[in-house]
Amino acid sequence: MSHNQASRREFLRKATILTGSVGTAAAPFALNMAALGSAVAQSADYKAIVCLFLYGGNDSANMVLPTDATSWATYSRVRMQLPDPIALRAMGEAPNAGAPGGSPAALGGVLPIVPNYTVFAENNTRAFALHPAMTEAAELFTAGRLAIIANAGPLLNPLTKAEYRARTRAVPRKLFSHNDQQSTWQALAPEGAKIGWGGRLGDLVASGNSRTVFTNISTSGNAVFLSGETTFQYQVGGGGAVQLGGLTGNLFNSAAATTNFGSIITADNQNLFAKEYAAVVKRSVDAQATFQAAYSAAVVPAPTQVILPSTRQAANNSLAQQFQTVARTIAARGALGTTRQVFHIGIGGFDTHNGQNRDHADLMARVSHALAYFDAQLNTLGLRDAVTVFTASDFGRTYSSNGDGTDHGWGAHHFVMGGAVRGKEIYGRFPVVGLNTDDEVGRGSLLPQVSVDQIGATIGKWFGVSDSNLNMIFPNLRNFAQRDLGFLA
Amino acid sequence: MVAALVLAACGGGDGSSSSSGGGGSGGGGSGGGDDTVAATVQPTEVEAARFLTQATMGATEADIKQLSSTSYGEWFNAQLAKPQQLHRTFVVNRGADRTANGQQPSQNDFFESFWKQAVTSDDQLRQRAAFALSEILVISFADANLAGQYRGVSSYYDMLGEKAFGNYRDLLESVSLHPMMGVYLSHRGNQKEDLATGRVPDENYAREIMQLFSIGLYQLNLDGTVKTDGAGVALETYTHEDITGLAKVFTGWGYFAGVNVADRTDPRFLGNSRVDGWDWTPMQAYNKFHSTSAKSFLGVTIPAQGTPNAEADLKIALDTIFNHPNVGPYIGKNLIQRLVTSNPSPAYVERVASVFNNNGAGVRGDMKAVFKAILMDNEARLVQADNTYGKLREPVLRYSHFLRAFKARSTQGAQNFTGINNTEEPSNNLGQAPLRSPTVFNFFRIGYIPPNTTLAAANKVAPEMQTVHEVTVAGYSNFMRDRIRFDAARDVQPDYSAELAIADNAGALADRMKLIMFAGQMPDTLRNQIIAAINGRAIPAAVRNAAGEITNQAAINSAKLDRVHIAVFLSVTAPDYLVQK
Repeated sequence: MSHNQASRREFLRKATILTGSVGTAAAPFALNMAALGSAVAQSADYKAIVCLFLYGGNDSANMVLPTDATSWATYSRVRMQLPDPIALRAMGEAPNAGAPGGSPAALGGVLPIVPNYTVFAENNTRAFALHPAMTEAAELFTAGRLAIIANAGPLLNPLTKAEYRARTRAVPRKLFSHNDQQSTWQALAPEGAKIGWGGRLGDLVASGNSRTVFTNISTSGNAVFLSGETTFQYQVGGGGAVQLGGLTGNLFNSAAATTNFGSIITADNQNLFAKEYAAVVKRSVDAQATFQAAYSAAVVPAPTQVILPSTRQAANNSLAQQFQTVARTIAARGALGTTRQVFHIGIGGFDTHNGQNRDHADLMARVSHALAYFDAQLNTLGLRDAVTVFTASDFGRTYSSNGDGTDHGWGAHHFVMGGAVRGKEIYGRFPVVGLNTDDEVGRGSLLPQVSVDQIGATIGKWFGVSDSNLNMIFPNLRNFAQRDLGFLA
Repeated sequence: MVAALVLAACGGGDGSSSSSGGGGSGGGGSGGGDDTVAATVQPTEVEAARFLTQATMGATEADIKQLSSTSYGEWFNAQLAKPQQLHRTFVVNRGADRTANGQQPSQNDFFESFWKQAVTSDDQLRQRAAFALSEILVISFADANLAGQYRGVSSYYDMLGEKAFGNYRDLLESVSLHPMMGVYLSHRGNQKEDLATGRVPDENYAREIMQLFSIGLYQLNLDGTVKTDGAGVALETYTHEDITGLAKVFTGWGYFAGVNVADRTDPRFLGNSRVDGWDWTPMQAYNKFHSTSAKSFLGVTIPAQGTPNAEADLKIALDTIFNHPNVGPYIGKNLIQRLVTSNPSPAYVERVASVFNNNGAGVRGDMKAVFKAILMDNEARLVQADNTYGKLREPVLRYSHFLRAFKARSTQGAQNFTGINNTEEPSNNLGQAPLRSPTVFNFFRIGYIPPNTTLAAANKVAPEMQTVHEVTVAGYSNFMRDRIRFDAARDVQPDYSAELAIADNAGALADRMKLIMFAGQMPDTLRNQIIAAINGRAIPAAVRNAAGEITNQAAINSAKLDRVHIAVFLSVTAPDYLVQK
């Protein structure tokens, strides 16, 4: 297929560039994309990846907590800072209905979770819990459909604290900076990156979809994660695709106006800004009717409201609503002709420098509620095994507290959810928490032990991408011994 | 970048002529040399329209005629002398009105004031400058802590408008001490470190004042290009240790408590007790909570103090940041991107940065001079042939231009401008609302490169493209198709009387759009398409009764209004319009 041939050339060109940049010998890449595409097209299977981005930098130290005596003592001491301590309460403590909404006392104790420890057995010496507002996530963990990836973040190669301090091995650029680390998680390079790894996965599978435009779909605005070499991201809102009106009938009672409007807004242009704006308009107009017909016919029940800890009131959960949009799009896969898709959804507000108790508890509740909702919808669709959700975030945060919040960090704990996930496990050695440990680089900011490249490659392999293509998409992968973290069956 | 002087320097066809520049000084550092247009130049109407696109909230016929009858320099002088109206005053009064009527004040009170001033106020350079600064020195109603602070957030916007024509050092201090910024970036109530417990100062403001408000991440040459080491790696401006040091400076700052130092009590520092004006009066130093340890940042060390002195430390910190060589190119380029073009040439950035560094009278940070330098530079004033020149108009500025160009006014009276409200919904509105950026990184990033595009292939940034996608392009078009029409239920209505008067002449109507909306940059193909579209709506011939009275006037009026709607709608959705170039 000519599309594959073009993509193949593009990948080889890129491979050359990448090989040059990392300075290792060029290896012959076994890019068997035509074979992959036809295999996808011939089977009736379906797979999707959903990136759930927690914008602002999630304080994962309050999401996944080691509760063994040593860890808990450190935690309680370091995070018990006035005026508004962010230290959560020990497991088993009952919620205090009289305490301020969202406060640790009001939330009650952290929720114990018990991993199987069949992987990373050294974690067996610890004990673990989730944030008290994550009841549903704890249930998903226990049910074996949610796993935790411990201490992950951007890395170019394995790195020790001594190497980080001495700068004797390469360190990712612009650590601790929001926009740059968002970009690094999504595209393995700071702001200005043009190709995201979700988009590159999309490039490889798009030929299996009858309309490639529906391969990479975002519900939360433009994200470089979904930009491929050849595939674009397609944006849908809560109502699905928005119809651009005025293209039929007589616009202001002028048939010529209708015709000319359509040609004006989509015409090519000398100026590159105008050219690219018109290209988006054309994509919007061309794809809308097909998408909307399929989407409208796909019925997925709306999420319930979430009880927010801060107010103790029910509220709409916009994150669960984005999951509903994803579920409807997946349910419409037959009409859309899609067999492989990559989604990007997002929720902001994680930059909890202050007021963390109130804000973070609400965010944890939203994430947990939304994951459970999506899991239930996938079950109804019979697609739990076909869809994998993973969390990503700018960075983790400092372990130290500024009195009512935390600052920018690096490594963080993350979730993967789905029927294909080997759940009830923690992947990666869980770090020693606290200050001045070998696992932190200052103020308790974690030095990651698992790289974004490894997470992406594990997901990509499950998605059906060959080892050689994974090497190309994840340029740092070859620097890590473990290419597959094992969290997907 | 190739500059093509498309518009004849002399003898322009629009009623006025340009005198060729080079002579008189524009003052404030724009000397009218080879690279700038002299302040004495009297622009043609087309040149005036293009200038007003960059310098105001949108060109109007009246402003085009006024500017083309005088000179750029006179226009600047007049604009800089215009008094400022305070949003805070409007919002307070509107809030009182609402309360008296049993309603609640809301963010809509600020939006009403914003749009009223943007559309009807004559201090247009200030309006545009304040809006640009609000996208660099960002606070946002979208933050839960500011969502209800209508008065405070309005006063922040007022402060940007007031200081826009002052000195950047003063602006930086006003931003740093504004209580709404203190809340937004959480240095309000930030306490000194506690070595016994391990508590550390909040680093939020220390980081963002450097990354976003002053020097950026990388060391810059005067022309805005990034400095690199011998291996070609960009040199960073600061390390995490600089942030840690600077964070200590921003401890001990709390809400305004009153004129006496004794008023600065612990409950007021912690925000549990507040005095009137806490939300808009500059924050004050509560030295009890200020760090006394040594503070090192950007090559400066403030020694450990026996007595805490937050104000002295702040002065050292702001002086240090302000005098960093990056500020001129960083802020200069940022403002060029807001007003003129997304990818200015290094030479253009260098000229503006040089004026930032020295306004010609030895003053650094003179923002009047900086705005003049940006707008009077040849790269702003002369139409450029480069196909990556210009910038996408952002939705708020498209809509303000529409409202201004078609003389939108309140039907309830001059004191009102209701009903526009929050315009941020992407699927059926503008997808952007003033002072509602999702984060401190603005609606779009200055370094955003739209993936999979010819712009990316050319390695060009297009910040405003970050919010352009399948949903927003449809949402904007649908919103405009609705808003250009008369709707009796709305307070703010366009006044199409000037357009209706020429609605029988499709060419004249198209040419009116060409001047006011496109600043002359409506290609012939587009003009012909718009004319054909207008002519597709025939105006019925007048039918007269025996007395000679026209009996089908309603049908005639309806047809004329359709023709105006066609001309306006096909203009505001045309890619040639959507790109300011």
